[in-house]
Amino acid sequence: MKIIRIHNELLGTYGDRGNADVLAFRAGLAGVTAHIIDVSYREMIPTDGDIYLLGGAEDAAQVLSCTALKGFDFKNRVVLAVCAGFQILGNSYFANGVKQVGLGVIDMETIPGSSRFVGDIKVHSDLLNIELTGFENHGGQTNLAYGITPLGRVITGHGNGAGGVDGAVVGNIFGTYLHGAVLARNPEFADLLLERALGNELPRVNDPLADEYAKYRRSII
Amino acid sequence: MRLTFAMFVARLAGWASHTLLGKSGETIAGRVLLVLCPNAISQLSTGRKIILVSATNGKTSTTRALAGFMSTAGSVTSSKSGSNLARGVASALMTESEYAVLEVDELHLPFVVDATKPKAVLLLNLTRDQLHRMHEVKRVADRWKEMASKSGATFIADIDDPFLNYVLASASNNVRVSFGGMAGRHPDGAVCPSCGAYLDWDGGIYSCKCGLTNQVSDKKFSAESAAMRNQILANITAEYFGVPWHEVDLSTLERKASKKFINADCSIRLTKNPASWREALAGVESEKVILILNSREVDGIDTSWLWDVDFSGLRGKHVVVTGERGLDLAYRLHIQGVIAELAPDFDSATAKFAGPVEVLAAYTAFFELVG
Repeated sequence: MKIIRIHNELLGTYGDRGNADVLAFRAGLAGVTAHIIDVSYREMIPTDGDIYLLGGAEDAAQVLSCTALKGFDFKNRVVLAVCAGFQILGNSYFANGVKQVGLGVIDMETIPGSSRFVGDIKVHSDLLNIELTGFENHGGQTNLAYGITPLGRVITGHGNGAGGVDGAVVGNIFGTYLHGAVLARNPEFADLLLERALGNELPRVNDPLADEYAKYRRSII
Repeated sequence: MRLTFAMFVARLAGWASHTLLGKSGETIAGRVLLVLCPNAISQLSTGRKIILVSATNGKTSTTRALAGFMSTAGSVTSSKSGSNLARGVASALMTESEYAVLEVDELHLPFVVDATKPKAVLLLNLTRDQLHRMHEVKRVADRWKEMASKSGATFIADIDDPFLNYVLASASNNVRVSFGGMAGRHPDGAVCPSCGAYLDWDGGIYSCKCGLTNQVSDKKFSAESAAMRNQILANITAEYFGVPWHEVDLSTLERKASKKFINADCSIRLTKNPASWREALAGVESEKVILILNSREVDGIDTSWLWDVDFSGLRGKHVVVTGERGLDLAYRLHIQGVIAELAPDFDSATAKFAGPVEVLAAYTAFFELVG
């Protein structure tokens, strides 16, 4: 299995590189050999990846990454996009105080929020039927188009900053504002992505420390 | 008149806090002073030679070293350890002296520069820290740049950090120091802070098409550690005031303390953000290591950055993890193949060891242990 970590030198401000590490580790526990492939801004994005990861960034870095990704087809791929990486998948977003054209992968737009949303966040995912926890730190408000399914309903925190929801799910493309890294704090979500990539159910992943950590974070937020 | 009265009350408050509550009394004195006389900082700065020091890492120890250098030139007032907000600056300035060498928090620096009209400002580095409060590195750099453009001070900085080079470009007087690049690229320096283009790095050397580069500097040195860089930068600052070069024991420029806990002889080092964890991890020599992670305000309330630090150098060592967020750290290590025990508190962590142990402690943990 190939895990493509896209532009981590740009989209690596908030620890989201950990998502790749957790996916590879849990794939290993399930008997699947996984390789993390870091693709920098100057390189072509491989088309033979199994999971594609985008992370959070500062404004200027977000714009550069988005520009470099123009033309790459995310459709029919398994994608996890966090924060700035999530925003660029929309039709438009704001960076450096200017409206920017997004990649148009998810029908949504991001505008400047009323204030910066910073703090612990907990959402309920209907898809997984569990609570997901993380930390959010963003100034954008993301408005999903009618019919776009959010990733979760906000219990604590702000998420998209509109509609009481966080993130978006379109097929196998998942967006969220949760850092943490999100897959470290929510191993069930990691397993879902692995299953989507493998196209079948994952052999049971046994990692008590992961479960203990996830449970603990859920208990205190 | 108002200032004299305010200082009298502030000193009284500081004395009461110190004597009756057993606290340092610095914070309360500065706080009272600023309430009674809001422009006390600028009044107390008049006619004095002020030197300010700011950075993500190394402010406290470098300020201490620089204050020592300056004391060979005249009387010096300096910040009390870590007291680097406006109230700490106000409190320090209450002591009369020819020179004042003050440590200042990154976000408070523009205000303090404006109020104190310093002769020199020393900037050591700027990396990710407490993102819940600072938000972004570029945001801090932009504030510093605006500050530098309005100040008559001489700005001295390590331009191997592109953010500092960007800040210095707008200062009318500056000393641009390079150490021939850091060990590698700046961890937050993928984008040119000046023009927004992708910044290509050749090891620690960057050169943007807009002209921002560390290949051209006013002074060039070589240094193998952050402590050595800071020692040289402090000396350059002192030299600006005619003070001859001082050599110092580099270990005094690392926030380290030694203390025995039951049978464990602990060498405790302060770690507070990705850059300082990397620096501290690179210096771990012992096979016995305790890591303490908290996430209170000054530690940074978000622990996501753990994933941006490479802990693989700890593989094979006897590692015990503790602290309020010890579980976060234990899981991070687990994913990187570092086997670590999780201890409920520091006492039970030290009980697992005898002899020398290296301790890397989050900010609040460090001060709880060292006092």
